[in-house]
Amino acid sequence: MSRWLRAVLVVAIASLVVVLALAFRRAPTDIRTGTVGKPAAAFTLEKLDGPGTWSSEQAKGKVVVVNFFASWCIPCKEENPALVRVYERYRASDVVFIGVLYQDSRDSGLKYVRDNGVAWPTVIDDAGRVAFSYGVFGIPETFFIGPDGVIVGRHIGPIDETTLVRGIECLRVPNAGDCPRASASR
Amino acid sequence: MIERARGWKSARVALVLALVALALAVGWSARPRTETPAERVDRITSELRCVVCQGLSVRDSPSESARQMRDIVAQRVAEGRSDDEIRDEFRASYGDWVVLAPPLASWSGLVWLVPLAALLVGAFVALGRFRPPAAGAREPSAAELAQLRERARREESLDLPLDAR
Repeated sequence: MSRWLRAVLVVAIASLVVVLALAFRRAPTDIRTGTVGKPAAAFTLEKLDGPGTWSSEQAKGKVVVVNFFASWCIPCKEENPALVRVYERYRASDVVFIGVLYQDSRDSGLKYVRDNGVAWPTVIDDAGRVAFSYGVFGIPETFFIGPDGVIVGRHIGPIDETTLVRGIECLRVPNAGDCPRASASR
Repeated sequence: MIERARGWKSARVALVLALVALALAVGWSARPRTETPAERVDRITSELRCVVCQGLSVRDSPSESARQMRDIVAQRVAEGRSDDEIRDEFRASYGDWVVLAPPLASWSGLVWLVPLAALLVGAFVALGRFRPPAAGAREPSAAELAQLRERARREESLDLPLDAR
């Protein structure tokens, strides 16, 4: 085997090892999209349960949990008890929860909200523009936004209580540790 | 003889006419023309990945998410946004991944560069292997030739399969 051929083989194998090492080093739940680490898109949407609108301006300077959901979405129903518990825990604090109904009708969304004890404000994203600006893949998806308005983390799939609390606490308490940038549960 | 010459002349004329027709057809199909907004929406959405599908473009997917994305593209086209502005908006939300043909200047751009690099390396190796012997290479001596012939004769007499010799 010539010297050149050997060198090329060594380089090819080394490149393959590097590519595989980089690919396997990354956790499969680390879903990188364009919006994490960037300012959350401002939005104003119609309230689901009544007249009027809700604007993201109302939550300025607060920790915000944005949850995209729909009544037809089974995993949304799965995660709902955790959302209800964590909402009750932070209800009196400066943490704002907002539910965004996505790809669903107002009537079905309202019934879901009433049947499942959703007490936080909910809005309807009829045209899917807000979901698009947040980079939503599918529902449920939950975003954590810091008081500076920057999306710090996201969770794809049904979220559990521990992940919710960790996502909120790392934004509320200084030096609470790094916030999880992205996670997934499916 | 005259008949044959006439035949050649007719064939040449037919060939020239065919080439002119071909050139006109190519020129006509490649003529600069203005896309209609619907054609632009179709083209742009065919270059964007449907985020809830596997391997389908926004144009080809029947999903609700893709329909909403087509609406967004149509709205941006109507607003007079450029192709790059529309693509950048999608990339801002979903990263380079959302563009079916990733830009060269990104990690995803490796899908363009790696095959090209492999092709170049392969061509380099092939050229190296099939290069003729250097001008200064000497002919084998009579003793070396005799040695080689003796080795060939010995291996042939063993009657081994070719790949075992």
